[in-house]
Amino acid sequence: MNHSSNEKEPETIEPLRYLSKTEVATVETELLRDYRFGQQQLIEIWGHACAIAITKAFPLSSLSKKQPTLLVVCGPEQNGSIGLVCARHLRMFEYEPTIFYPKRSAQSLHQDFTIQCEKMDIPFLSYLPTEVQLLNDAYNLVIDAILGPETDQKEVKEPYAGMLVTLKQVKIPIVSVDVPSGWDIDEPAKDGINPEVLISLTAPKKCATGFSGKHFLAGRFLPYDIQKKFELNLPEFPGTECVIEL
Amino acid sequence: MLGVRALFGIGLLVSSRGGSVLTHTGACARVASTIYSKDLAHRQACTMANTIKYLGQEEAQHIDEELFNEYRFSVDQLMELAGLSCATAVSKGYPLQSLLKSPPRVLVICGPGNNGGDGLVCARHLKLFGYEPSVLYPKRPSKQLFQNLTTQCEKMDISFLTEMPEADVIDEVYNLVVDAIFGFSFKGAVREPFGDILSQLKKITVPIASVDIPSGWDVENGCPDGIQPDMLLSLTAPKKAANHFKGRYHFLGGRFVPPALEQKYQLNLPQYPDTDCVYQLN
Repeated sequence: MNHSSNEKEPETIEPLRYLSKTEVATVETELLRDYRFGQQQLIEIWGHACAIAITKAFPLSSLSKKQPTLLVVCGPEQNGSIGLVCARHLRMFEYEPTIFYPKRSAQSLHQDFTIQCEKMDIPFLSYLPTEVQLLNDAYNLVIDAILGPETDQKEVKEPYAGMLVTLKQVKIPIVSVDVPSGWDIDEPAKDGINPEVLISLTAPKKCATGFSGKHFLAGRFLPYDIQKKFELNLPEFPGTECVIEL
Repeated sequence: MLGVRALFGIGLLVSSRGGSVLTHTGACARVASTIYSKDLAHRQACTMANTIKYLGQEEAQHIDEELFNEYRFSVDQLMELAGLSCATAVSKGYPLQSLLKSPPRVLVICGPGNNGGDGLVCARHLKLFGYEPSVLYPKRPSKQLFQNLTTQCEKMDISFLTEMPEADVIDEVYNLVVDAIFGFSFKGAVREPFGDILSQLKKITVPIASVDIPSGWDVENGCPDGIQPDMLLSLTAPKKAANHFKGRYHFLGGRFVPPALEQKYQLNLPQYPDTDCVYQLN
């Protein structure tokens, strides 16, 4: 961070902080209110970084099916919009995403993201088959962009509860965006979905402590002041990368 | 494309469960793969047969309008991706370890329009990449977006200069200058203070990296006695002025062009490597 040439002092590397639900909300409020980031800007940053993380976890060459298909399941709020942007960038990266977006937000902001995907010729499913084998056969992986920190995870309504039941049974890998949907932000879920890969946005959340799968941190935009204020102790991203594996 | 869509639509409207579900999802996957493989084949053919298209000013403006009106991108979104491309190109052409002056100071000069906005985003990402940008932003538009981008920079401790330094001061203090003054909409005479700024830029010896169009150049015909940048970052697609570019580095950035738009204007864009947001053209 600082580039004044100091003598090298022995540094104790402080551990990366895992945020609680309240802290996540506070950071975001400050980003919008004090730092004047735009909502659409942030969602674009997050979705783009998410897509890059997915290409690191599942490079095109590593996919087992003939076509690099993936299913992006998008919820009604911000997490879903991040999924839409992510799908768009995956398309640019030569993947073949299909989107399932059952409840579309009425906000024009989120509608714009939907149109952008439609105009990229990304197909939208009209419903999610409950026969899990169909998903296993059609797609290489599922991207879970259903519920994020902004949602009250304790009260998961339909159709999401049903979708999560389906997702718990798929054999193909699940990649969760920011938090595994249905998990409580503050503690790991006991019987929730079990993603193979978690992509934490900005900073990891408490529920990711001890996450046993592949864990990425995505999104390189946080002003240093916020990092310091919340003692995030983010790792150093290499070069110009916006994703780092934790 | 329309035919495929109709087929698709019929498949999607099948709402009964049981046996037809298998057909539906199978059909979905098949149709999706038809859309995707058609597009890939087309793009491969283009790259092999043709070179990248250099746009005229009007064409560039039409593409821009379509991105916002038909494809419903917001200026926020595209500016963020454009600015990221700029910062990435700068770090490829002028890596931190290669800079002669310490600290790694960069001067970013932002003009009164969208090109300036790209510069602000670029400055912010340069800071995150470890550079020490300073911004000169003499004419600020009233739109909220630009005020927000300015605040974002200020809150990253990026200093804003109050006036353009003289050429010899720039040479002494900065490693390079990012020219984000005028973009593809530029026409006619250069208004102050940019005339003076461009004269200083003509005298400096440190490299200039221009965003989209070397400022002051005619967007199609170039400018023989204008600034001579070392790097040009063309956004979306290069403009005709780039034919007159004689610097070392010509990058393409702004990796957000929907395939349908690319095909409509026959841009023949190259395939960006991996997940990179810039492509080196020379």
